[in-house]
Amino acid sequence: MALFAVLQTTFLLALLPLRTYQSEVLSEPLPLTPESLNVSINSTKQCLHLQWTVHNPDYHQEFKMVFQIQISRFKASNVIWLENYSTTVKRNQVLHWSWESELPLECAIHFVRMRTMVDDARIPAPRLWSNWSSWEKADAQNSLGDHPLYVFPKDKLVEEGSNVTVCYISMNHQDNISCYLEDVLIYGRQLDQNVWAFEFKNVSFIRKTGTNFYCKGQGDPEGVVLLVSKVLEEPKNFSCETQDLKTLTCTWDPGNDTGLIQLPSYTLFESFSGKKTLCKHRNRCDWQVTQDSQEMYNFTLVAENYFRKRSVSILFNLIHGVHPMAPYSLFPKSVSATNATVTWKVYSIGSSSALLCQLQLLGEGKVIQQHNISVRVNGEYLLSELKPDTEYMARVRCAYADHFWKWSELISQNFTTAEAAPSEAPDVWRDVTFVSGHPTVTLFWKPLSKVHANGKILFYNVVVENLDEPSSLKVLSVPAPANSTKVTLNQSSYQICVTAHNSVGPSPASTVAISGHPGNENVEEGRMNGTEDGFPMSWKPQSRNATGYVVEWCDSPQHLPCVLRWKNLGPTNTDTVISSGAFRPGVRYNFRIYEISTKRMAHLLEKKAGYLKELAPSYNPKVNMSNLTSHSFTLSWKDYPTESQTGFIQGYYVYLKSKTGEKCHRGFEKTFLTDNSVCCKYTIDNPDQKTFVVKDLQPESAYEFLVTPYTSAGEGPLDDFRKVTTPDEYSHILIHIILPMVFFVFVIMIICYLKSQWLKDKCYPDIPDPYKSSVLSLIKFKENPHITIMNVNDCVPDAIEVVNKPEGSKMQFVGTRKSPTETKGTKPAYLDLLPTEKNYSGPGPCICFENFTYNQAASDLGYCGHFPVTPQAPHCQLGPLTSPEHLLKTLEQSYMNSLGEIPAGEANLNYVSQLASPMSGDRESPPTNPPEPALCSEYKMQMAIPLGLASPARSENSSLSSTALLDPREHCH
Amino acid sequence: MSLVNDINTLVICQVLSALCLLHLIIFTITAPSFGSPHSHLSLSLAQLQDQGRPFSNPRFSSPTLSLETLPSTDMPFEIWHGLEDGVRLSLTQEAFWSFSQHFRIAMVDQHILHHGDSIVEDQLWEARLKAKGLAGNLAAIMTSLGLPSPAANTPLGPVPLGDSAYRKKCRGYVIIRDYSFWTDRAVTFLGELKAKYSQ
Repeated sequence: MALFAVLQTTFLLALLPLRTYQSEVLSEPLPLTPESLNVSINSTKQCLHLQWTVHNPDYHQEFKMVFQIQISRFKASNVIWLENYSTTVKRNQVLHWSWESELPLECAIHFVRMRTMVDDARIPAPRLWSNWSSWEKADAQNSLGDHPLYVFPKDKLVEEGSNVTVCYISMNHQDNISCYLEDVLIYGRQLDQNVWAFEFKNVSFIRKTGTNFYCKGQGDPEGVVLLVSKVLEEPKNFSCETQDLKTLTCTWDPGNDTGLIQLPSYTLFESFSGKKTLCKHRNRCDWQVTQDSQEMYNFTLVAENYFRKRSVSILFNLIHGVHPMAPYSLFPKSVSATNATVTWKVYSIGSSSALLCQLQLLGEGKVIQQHNISVRVNGEYLLSELKPDTEYMARVRCAYADHFWKWSELISQNFTTAEAAPSEAPDVWRDVTFVSGHPTVTLFWKPLSKVHANGKILFYNVVVENLDEPSSLKVLSVPAPANSTKVTLNQSSYQICVTAHNSVGPSPASTVAISGHPGNENVEEGRMNGTEDGFPMSWKPQSRNATGYVVEWCDSPQHLPCVLRWKNLGPTNTDTVISSGAFRPGVRYNFRIYEISTKRMAHLLEKKAGYLKELAPSYNPKVNMSNLTSHSFTLSWKDYPTESQTGFIQGYYVYLKSKTGEKCHRGFEKTFLTDNSVCCKYTIDNPDQKTFVVKDLQPESAYEFLVTPYTSAGEGPLDDFRKVTTPDEYSHILIHIILPMVFFVFVIMIICYLKSQWLKDKCYPDIPDPYKSSVLSLIKFKENPHITIMNVNDCVPDAIEVVNKPEGSKMQFVGTRKSPTETKGTKPAYLDLLPTEKNYSGPGPCICFENFTYNQAASDLGYCGHFPVTPQAPHCQLGPLTSPEHLLKTLEQSYMNSLGEIPAGEANLNYVSQLASPMSGDRESPPTNPPEPALCSEYKMQMAIPLGLASPARSENSSLSSTALLDPREHCH
Repeated sequence: MSLVNDINTLVICQVLSALCLLHLIIFTITAPSFGSPHSHLSLSLAQLQDQGRPFSNPRFSSPTLSLETLPSTDMPFEIWHGLEDGVRLSLTQEAFWSFSQHFRIAMVDQHILHHGDSIVEDQLWEARLKAKGLAGNLAAIMTSLGLPSPAANTPLGPVPLGDSAYRKKCRGYVIIRDYSFWTDRAVTFLGELKAKYSQ
């Protein structure tokens, strides 16, 4: 019964509204006019905001209505917008509607009106529009000041890519206003008498401080800044995770900054719980996990700015998003040479959850061990198989064990294992030199690798054992890092052991044996070619019992001292490739291959030389040219070192260029040089040939030659041609004639010089001796056998001149005679020699005579005769001679006479007697009646007088050729 | 006589200190701007480069733009040179105090215009400190010379040209332009003072 009553009541209640509705529908529809229409301007958003009410006292319910709105610009008739706005209207409700103008509202007056129509299904048709409301005016220019120029909109926020319209109002109707967008002149369209508009489409972001638009008239420039925003991007990589199951952290990539001071807001919304939070950061947001055991979360991230809203959602399971915090307190403990124990701690997650931790061991940057350990609070693990004295890194990361999603951050710790004794013998080699028959051994060893050193090598022990005298043992300790030592030995066999020592102990010993005598060095050197990988070489074993082979070389043979390198090879190796970073192209490397005997003795097997890559010679030999003839010359370059070349010298090219451009000689081939000049080339394919004879040349021709070596890589530089010109063909003949002639003349001259005295004696003696005169013999022999020679003793000295002038004894002068004009005017020099009476201070008259017969002029002229003297010449008298004036007069007279009376070409053989004093006398016949002054007279030596001075001697009165000289120093000795 | 010397020495020290500060201002702001060969403000360069054209254009000049709250730059040099030292000291001190106030406004403007770029704001802050320091130095010189102490510097009232982003940029431009003018004038004036009291 009660149930029935309840159902009845419910039914009645359900019918009640239906009844009410039926009564309203049936009511008469009335037109509803908008009331209290108010229009306001929002300059920031450039919006017209409309507000109105609909008053209908007859209806108490909500109605669906349509409002038709008209907007006009500048004048009411200029309708620019018509829109129907539908909404549900309650009784006395204040309605709002906004319209955003593309043109800044300040630049134009706007008019708004509207009408309504009920658009509700409950109201029967017909549905009629109400009357228009009156026009409402929206005029923003009323609020402007008294500036002459205004630009709108101010601080307009614009999204990149959108369109925007800017306008200016010239209050004083200026017409010379120009407007610029970022200094670029812009032209707009005139909207009204004093209003211009500028429309910009698809504006772009330039800078955060906005894009400047300004107009200049007569006053200050006025402008606006368009604050252009980049488009808000949708958040990317949106994800959430938790470290401790208490706090969720959601992160995302917000994309590019919009560039506006108005940053976009980010809101995190969870749909299951209906909660949301405003994020404090633009790329991260924290969300507190509630205690209601919510496992699933549906997050929506909403990014919003002035222009748009972006959102992205994820469905998140809390357990599946656990990202544990990084472990901490990672320490190595109990570190030995090969083992170490590491411990660490983790942050617990929940009360019963465990973490899966991964322990990695890194050596030299690489993971060499990896272990997974389940950890609740403290982790520990023993690392084994470690290498001594090695630095390792242990690092740990952990993940949620119940559901692995992501490893935590890594933590790491370095540790170094303890040292151990070196595990391998050092690689030792030796260089043996014999000084005075005694071997001097330089031992070299390579530093042990880190793997084998097992610690820091402190020193090397070198034990030298004389095998011939086992008791003799010599120990050397060489501190590291030295890698060589020198040992001088006797002519015995030795065994040398080298060990490396670190702080723990020695390494195994490396042994070399040294023979006391030089081995066989006479091994022919082979050649080989290098490759990119190095020098491949092979050899033939000499002994079947070889314990190994060693290849040695110098890394930089061009630099001394040699940096010895070697490579140890096992007994089964008969080939290898020697490579080194120090190998360079164009360098000759010499390799020596040794065989190691069972007694560790090294025997030279082979020598090899090669180039990693042969290069063309870098310079040419210095060529000497010799044996130059008109048809050939010889070239030689004996000192050219081929070993230091950049490749194996295979021979030489001899280049020959001729000025005439004639064809190449036999053996030469024509070639072109780099400068396109033609040249002849001769190839010498024997590198040991270092001379070459260039033949078949043309005499008196210019040639240029060059000798350059060549290797497999090419020839040397062709830039140093030398010039040679072949001589005339007959020049050598001339040389053969002229040289002997010159030599002959020279010999003659020498002979003449040496025999000049003899010649003089023969031809023109100083004191002619008639008896010795060859002329006389000639005369006697030829013509006049009766000729006699006057004896001087028969003459009165200095007074008589006897001239025998037979006609038949005439002889022609051989030489040239001086002309009279040459002798004329020449004042006899002897006049100055004559003393005056004043000068004479002697005790009495004392006259010394000199023989002036000999005439220098005659001597110089080569006369072999004497001038003729006339018989009329007065006799020489002693008395007047003591008077200088008289003597001078006499001499002048005789001189003048001689000039007049000696005709040219009439020189006959005359004899002029010598003046001889009785004191000196003629040994054969002294004078019988010597004059009285002769007591003090003496015979003077003949003196040579220059031609001019001696001229008077040719005079007729040359009987006085002996002139008295009154020199006081000569008096009366 | 000794007192006069002491005063002169004190003035010289203070003038030198002020000159050092001025040179520091010029040294730290060394870039051409506003087309004036004496205006060297890297501050202006940094700030105006960020404002965009026309402000960043080196040839940009708008002499009609002015701020009535800024110290006047209208006085011809001949008249300025004819003023007494005390008057010129007072005017200079007031000017730099005013600039220190205006730089604060410029900083706020830049913060609004250029959110996130602290370089320009830092430079404006530095310029403000130096202008303030120079005003203090000039006040000390006035005191040493026995001139009336400068009036208590009152806080700056409303400054025009701040009602839009464009006008904020204009305001910054005018502040830096006039600051350059007063810096050049102060360098010359303090140089004269130094020469005068060194004799």
